[in-house]
Amino acid sequence: MNAPYYKFGYFNDEVSLIIAFIIGIGFGFFLERAGFGSSRKLASQFYFKDMAVLKVMFSAIVTAMIGLYYLSVLGFVDLSLVYVSPTYIIPQITGGLILGVGFVIGGYCPGTSCVAASTGKIDGMIYLLGVILGIFVFGELFAWIEPFFYSTPMGKIILPELLNLPYGVVVFAVVLMAIGAFAAAEWVEKKTASKSGGN
Amino acid sequence: MTTITDTIRNEVIDKTKAKAEKTAQPYWNPYLSGIGLGLVLLAAFVVMGRGLGASGAFTSLISAGMNAVAPEHTAANNYFNEYIGDGEQSPLKDWLVFEVIGVFVGGFISGSLANRIKKSVDKGPRIGSHKRLLFAFVGGGLMGIGAKLARGCTSGQALTGGALLNLGSWAFMMAVFAGAYAFAYFMRRQWT
Amino acid sequence: MKLFEKLVKLSLNKRLALTAAMLGVTALFVGNPYHGAKLSVDKAELALMVQKESDQISPIEIAEWIIQNKIDYRLIDLRDENDFAEYHIPTAENIIITELGSSSLMRNEKIVLYSKDGIHAAKAWFLLKADNYKNVYTLYGGLNAWKDKILFPRVSETIDNSEAVKIAEISKFFGGQPQNNSQTETAAKYNNPMPKISTPAANPLTPSKKKKKEGC
Repeated sequence: MNAPYYKFGYFNDEVSLIIAFIIGIGFGFFLERAGFGSSRKLASQFYFKDMAVLKVMFSAIVTAMIGLYYLSVLGFVDLSLVYVSPTYIIPQITGGLILGVGFVIGGYCPGTSCVAASTGKIDGMIYLLGVILGIFVFGELFAWIEPFFYSTPMGKIILPELLNLPYGVVVFAVVLMAIGAFAAAEWVEKKTASKSGGN
Repeated sequence: MTTITDTIRNEVIDKTKAKAEKTAQPYWNPYLSGIGLGLVLLAAFVVMGRGLGASGAFTSLISAGMNAVAPEHTAANNYFNEYIGDGEQSPLKDWLVFEVIGVFVGGFISGSLANRIKKSVDKGPRIGSHKRLLFAFVGGGLMGIGAKLARGCTSGQALTGGALLNLGSWAFMMAVFAGAYAFAYFMRRQWT
Repeated sequence: MKLFEKLVKLSLNKRLALTAAMLGVTALFVGNPYHGAKLSVDKAELALMVQKESDQISPIEIAEWIIQNKIDYRLIDLRDENDFAEYHIPTAENIIITELGSSSLMRNEKIVLYSKDGIHAAKAWFLLKADNYKNVYTLYGGLNAWKDKILFPRVSETIDNSEAVKIAEISKFFGGQPQNNSQTETAAKYNNPMPKISTPAANPLTPSKKKKKEGC
């Protein structure tokens, strides 16, 4: 009944690194299974040809969200011990926009580029070098970025708190939204396919 | 005679086998892959009390590299010195670093099982390889900056924070799609 | 049965969507996930802890932890700001009882509470235990006991045993004065000046707050 196990001291940091490795294997495996080792497949999302990014991402979010919700309601997991990163709304939206542009130019996000690189994609390896340079530049310019980086702090805040709704209601709304998005994605894919002559 | 026909037959079988081995298998149903991914994320929540990530591991890698080359410069940098910590242990002895090593291995395992390991440059038909690699580098650079500004990338913020209903993560996720769709027009020659 | 047949005929994607929808609808009714953790409070276990006094930590023990520079626990002073500013046990943090719930205390941390006499701390102990904090303790006798046992302990000059020497040493470490048996007057004891609080910068005992990054 005492999950998350790490936070209750069931194992030490060394063991946690082994667990990290195993969890990483699972992460990489399913990313590759979904076809996310291919930049062309990922980028197709933004031309309405193949909505796999949206489908995979939202089914993963819904699965983990529902799982965590029910495990917490049953008292198996102490939800308050699961780390929620604090929100700094304006820098995060700005970062998201830059990241989105980088996504469609580079064709990957950091996680998927690892899978691309390990399955032999040269563009994935070059992309990773770009990521490393980008982080280096960010860090070197940090003194200059710092005031913006820490602007608009909202603390640790989740949607149920923001909307003042019970947690379960937000879970329901996200599930509903995801199913709507899936239906829309299937419809859009069919439409794009018929436009370009079934290709 | 029987031996000759046998050899021929064996050769034919070997050839078809080789052919079958070379063809990459189709990708999984995206919803099933998503559920798999979601279960891995859930396991991270239950066992560790934290989610997945990727870009943080590269920050640790850079911090370690910089610390080795120019320790004073790194210590003076407010961003990288957080990743160095008190210097008692290597910044590479970090949860995310080990997780990302696992991602490489997991991707390789899945790719091998499906015959998808191939040295190639992935791109649309209307662009040359060199230009594609340049775009990959530039895109990666923007991604690095964006991910650090947003305090996480698609895995650390969108996926993990999305499942935790974190406000900042949902705002981030919408911004990622908005940015990508807004810029997709200018990149159409690369992908379509 | 017709419904069942229809379900079987559905495509995999539709069946997955239906499952998600059902779990989503159920989520509307099953309640708050943060409450699930509270159900695990075991009244009998709590009572037993109180009976066995395993929920308390003696002043000597705390004093030794501070001297040894242990940082695997958090010492919480529940008194108000003024009292805290006047004197507090080194390394203690000031959190008043109404702010315990919204403080940065983690449910998996070892927490030692103290107040003036220990009664306040005992009540706070129940509040935290009921909220599923796992490792909560109180300082036996509160700050009064800290004064009696650590700052101004009664040490007999005539009996020179190792225990007394140790206590005198501990007392001096915290800036106290061991009291001679002959001169002991309860009233006089409380007139002794409290040791000055060293500033956190000068105090090597302050645990280093190095926070491991958990984010991406």
